[in-house]
This record gives sequence, structure tokens and C-alpha cells, in this order.
Amino acid sequence: MPKRRRDDEPDLPPKRFRNDGKSTDRLSSLSNELLLHILSFLSVSSLNVCQRLSRRFQTLGGDSELWKRQYYSQWVQPRARRLANSRRTTLPTKVDYSPRVATWFDHGHLAHEGNWKRQYRLRHNWSRGLCRVTEVEFPEPPCPPTLVRFCAGIVFTVESARGLRAWTATDPARCLASISLSSPDSPVTPTALAVSHAHGKVEISVGMGNGHISLFLLDLQTSKLELQSSYSAGNGTITAMALSTSYLLVVSQYKNLILYKLHNDSHQAGGSSGAAVPRQLASLKADNIVAPMTLSLRVSQSEIIATIVYSFFHIGCGWSLGIQELRLGKDGQQLGSRLATTVDSQYGVRPSQALQSGKRHSAAEPDHIQSTPSAPFILHQQPPTSMSYSHPYLLTSHADNTLTMYLVVSTADNLFVQGGRRLWGHTSSVSAVQVTKRGKAVSVSSRGDEIRIWELETAISSLGTRKAPKEEHGIPLSTGSRHEPEPALPRTLYESLNSTDRETSPLSKMQDCVGFDEERVLLLRERGVGTQLLECYDFT
Amino acid sequence: MSAITLTSSDGIEMSVDRTTAERSVLIKNMLDDLGDSGDAVPLPNVNEAVLKKVIEWCEHHKNDAPSASDDDDNRRKTTDIDEWDQKFMQVDQEMLFEIILAANYLDIKALLDVGCKTVANMIKGKSPEEIRKTFNIQNDFTPEEEDQIRRENEWAEDR
Repeated sequence: MPKRRRDDEPDLPPKRFRNDGKSTDRLSSLSNELLLHILSFLSVSSLNVCQRLSRRFQTLGGDSELWKRQYYSQWVQPRARRLANSRRTTLPTKVDYSPRVATWFDHGHLAHEGNWKRQYRLRHNWSRGLCRVTEVEFPEPPCPPTLVRFCAGIVFTVESARGLRAWTATDPARCLASISLSSPDSPVTPTALAVSHAHGKVEISVGMGNGHISLFLLDLQTSKLELQSSYSAGNGTITAMALSTSYLLVVSQYKNLILYKLHNDSHQAGGSSGAAVPRQLASLKADNIVAPMTLSLRVSQSEIIATIVYSFFHIGCGWSLGIQELRLGKDGQQLGSRLATTVDSQYGVRPSQALQSGKRHSAAEPDHIQSTPSAPFILHQQPPTSMSYSHPYLLTSHADNTLTMYLVVSTADNLFVQGGRRLWGHTSSVSAVQVTKRGKAVSVSSRGDEIRIWELETAISSLGTRKAPKEEHGIPLSTGSRHEPEPALPRTLYESLNSTDRETSPLSKMQDCVGFDEERVLLLRERGVGTQLLECYDFT
Repeated sequence: MSAITLTSSDGIEMSVDRTTAERSVLIKNMLDDLGDSGDAVPLPNVNEAVLKKVIEWCEHHKNDAPSASDDDDNRRKTTDIDEWDQKFMQVDQEMLFEIILAANYLDIKALLDVGCKTVANMIKGKSPEEIRKTFNIQNDFTPEEEDQIRRENEWAEDR
């Protein structure tokens, strides 16, 4: 507009009435409110620089509201946009920045978190694979197998010689509590371990080779670990367990599936041993279970959903997964059972076709609709090395350096597997994978020397489109520099191309050796002969 | 178009177009409350030089859509300042901060943002030492503390 041009002469020289601008700190004389306003225009890196200016700026630059906003624009908003594009989800129409975090889809769990800078940094580090590594060598070479679980910031290890031990993840060198497994006369071999966290307490259940199950309780406040009950399921080696507050699902060698209700809703001090024995709710016998398998237990208001994921060989497309979902009432009555397999997904058939539910079918992508695919695009000639299921994510790891991801859809009337995708990135055989329901996964190669973290959500949004993704989402973590004298030093861990001359036998049950939460990844691996190393990757 | 009179802190009276003056939420509210009495509006926190500058800005922006983008995030995403505003803000630091204070006092959001963005741009891409020098900020950390804070904040520097 020409009007603007002649409106004013902008080069009007400012009147300088006092010329002491060189010596006074005008910036710091502003109110906190104004300084925060200025800082709100800065990027993350500039904020960090500002925190180094002075004490006042250190406080202001760490302001939680500033970082919350940064967190929002860096992590929440792009995701909301992506989800809105992928049109398979119905979202709250507006996911705008708001001081109330609960409106940010799926970030509600952060609502109680005070320090947003910390959250930002955590997220940043995860996305870059930046972490601090601490290693703890077990004081005494434990006899394998050692099982590890990680829950509520506590690492639980169990082995026959030293029993159940609890360690803090922040300081893995310190053993919080330990308790020996029962029956000192006849050594028992722990074969399964499950933990569950609720109300400041962690329930631990240990399944043994002789069919015994021991239940322990760790009080997080007092770090007191005590035996709750121990009894025999009498059905041979416990092969898998899943624990979800007050329910325990057990599978034993003889293909029995048993659901127990734990007693913990009654809280009498030193409850009588009779009350301590879990009540058996349901028992089922399977005809055939092929390892590896994984159990998962979801408890809702009215029912318990027990899911068994197992692998089987399908003539057409090699090793596939079957998912059986058992719906049980609170008292163990069976409400229903349904089955789904990944076979359709492996052929690339869209679930909408497979289910012949025309209403879900969209003609928008005609290139994906094929009458009958001749060959599966996911074909595994060998059974998966491990699998992990945390609804809705199902991941399997394979000896061929890849992982396969499926999305399990479980609605009131349907159970089906949506899409399948291989995740590339590992440079050696993958032997363990763990996934959490927030869509973060950690996978470990057979020797435990390559760890990758995955953000599955981004991968999910491109599910169903057969187009090869431009870029994988796995971020390698290198466990390199084992000779680091000070393990507590922060290190940047990038490309995991560390040559491995070490000759170690792959751990038999790697899956039991990896665990992670929002802040840390823990890995138990062998080092040399007979020694084991607990490694903690701290992303904070 | 009615004109109103503003009185600066040093007692200078200035006649301004009412629509121009109403860029300031403070003045707008005062006028709404007082009615069209024709009395001068006293602004005890703004001196003549700054008031002139602020009026110049309001004059230029009087036809802007009222708070065009209240979208907080988009506003913050960029520190881009339009050309005229950039030139307008080519003043010494004293005046810059006076404008920010006046914009804050007079409640002129857009001008406050321009001022704060200008300062933010002066901070961007500089080292702490450079920023301290620019604004004469006193470093009140001990060398050890400074070192520790540097290490704590290293993680985002590779951006």
C-alpha cells in the first residue's frame, strides 16, 4: 500500500536524553513478566544459553510454562496434525495449546508433572538417542538364568542363587532389598517374573521351574520386600506370567492357563496364610503352545481380558502370530473368546476387506486394493525370537535383523490385526523386543551390543500404505566404549557401528533381560564368562 | 473523527486521533469509562519522547485488524518483524526498553510483541558472554556454578 509508505518518516532519530545506556543493565531491570514474554520468543537452544547468563535468568529460563509451550509445539502439535491427517482416528477437533495439558491428546499423563524443561529434555534425548550409561557388574557371577523386570523406577532381578533383588534405577549400584527364594534345601530355578505397580507398592510374582509361584510385595516408601505367599500350581514349569493389579495369569509347561485373583484388596496386617493364597478363577487347557509366546492382562471395570499371543507356522506365509483374547468376568466365568491372526496382514490384505465390513472400506486408495495377493510381503521362515504385546502394539523380533510390528484392534465386536510392517535398522539378529502401550519400543540385538529405540506411533500412521517409508524410526544406541573409566559421564551415543570381537553366547532368554520406562532403558547382558552386566541408559 | 488529548509524564499535551489512541487498551478503557468529556488523559508513566514514538507506531498500525492473530503459538513461532516495525525499532537500547515498558503499561499487545521480538533477536545466536556484553548483564555465578550450568544445558546446543 502506498499509503503506508508516506505515512511516516521512520528514520526519525530518537531523542537521547540520557546517554548512560552503556553502563546499566536495562534488560534485567524489566519485570519478570516482561522478561518471560521476551524469552517466550526464543528457541530451546537460546533458552539454554539464557539460563547461563545470571541467576535471575537461570530461574526465568527454566520457567515451566515456557518449556510447556516448547514441549507443545515440538511434540504435541506435530503429532496432532499427523493424526488428523491419517483420518483413521477421530480426534478432538482442536488440539490447541492450553495451560491445561489434559487436552493434549495422549499427553495427559504429563499433567501432574511439574518440570516441563525436564520433560522436554527427556523427550529430546529419546528422540536423539542421547543418554547417559551406567553399568553395574553383578558383584558375584549369578547363575543364569537371571530374569529382569523394570517397574516404577525399580529394577527387579531374580535368580536361583541370590533370590529376588530390587535395585534403584537411579543408582543401580545400590541394592534396595533382597529376599531369597523359598525352600533353601532344594534349589529352585526361577523361570518367569512379572511385576505390577499400584498405590506405592509393587507386586512381584516369580514362577519357578518346579511349578511354584511366589508372590512378593515391595513397599516403595520403606523399601521393604516381603513374601506374600508361595504355593504350588503343580503344573510343571511356569513358562509365562502376566500380572495386573490383583490378577495373575500363568501359563505352565503343560499348557495350562490359569487366572488367579490375588488377595490384595483385603489389607489386614500380617494377613493369615489362608487369605494369602490366591484364588484360582479359571483354568484352561491348551492343545498346543509354541514358544515364544507372550501374555497380557487387561483389567477393566467389568471384565478381565487375557490375551495370549503365540506363534505358529502357516504354510503360505511362514511364521505367523495368533492372538487369542479371552474375556472373563470378575469371578472367572468365561464371557467369550476370540481369535485373530496376522496372516491377512502378512498378505497385505486390509482388515476392512478381510472382515467384509463394507462401511469401513474406503475407495480413496484404490492402489492398495488387490483381489488376492499372490505372495505375502511379510514372510518369516524362522519363528520370532521374541515378542512383546502391549495393547495395541504387537512386536516380534527376528533373526533376520528386523522387527515386525502389528496393530491389534480390539473392539466390542471385532478383534483383528491391522497392517503389518517391518522395522529395519538392526545390523544383526534381533533377539529381544519390549513395547509399552505408549508406543515406545526397545529392541536389542542378540549380543546385547546394539539397542534401538522406536517411536511406533509415527510408523503406525503410515500403516496400510505399502509405500516404503523414507526413513526408519529406530534410533540406535551404541553401548560402545566399554573401557570408559567413568561410566557416569554423559556421552553422546550415535551410530552403533562398534566392532564386536567379543565372542559371547547369546543369552538364552534375552526378553527377560530388557526393560524400560519413560526415563531409562535397562539391559542385562553377559560380559565375558559368567559375569553379567546391568546397564542403565538414562535419558534424563 | 474525534481527537483526544494525552498528557505525558513531563506534562506535554498531545492531540491524537481517537482511533489511533484506542490501539492502547488502557486508553480505550479509560475513554469508555470517562465518556467523551474532552479532558486530557494523563499518562504518568510515559514521557514525551516515548509517547511520541508510541503514537507514531499506533498511527501506522491504526488500520490493522484488531489483534489479527491471537493465535499464541503461531505468533510465537516466528521472531520475524515486518519491515516498517524493524525500522521503527532501530533505536538505542534505552528507547527500546522504554517502548516495551510503555507498550506494557498502555496495553498495546502488538507493540509489546514487536519490542520483545526485537530483544529476542538481539539474544538469538549469541554466546552467553556476548549477550552479557550486549545488555550489561552482571554475571553472578561462581566459575564452578557457571561450569555446572553449562554442562546441564549442553544437550540442546547441537540444534
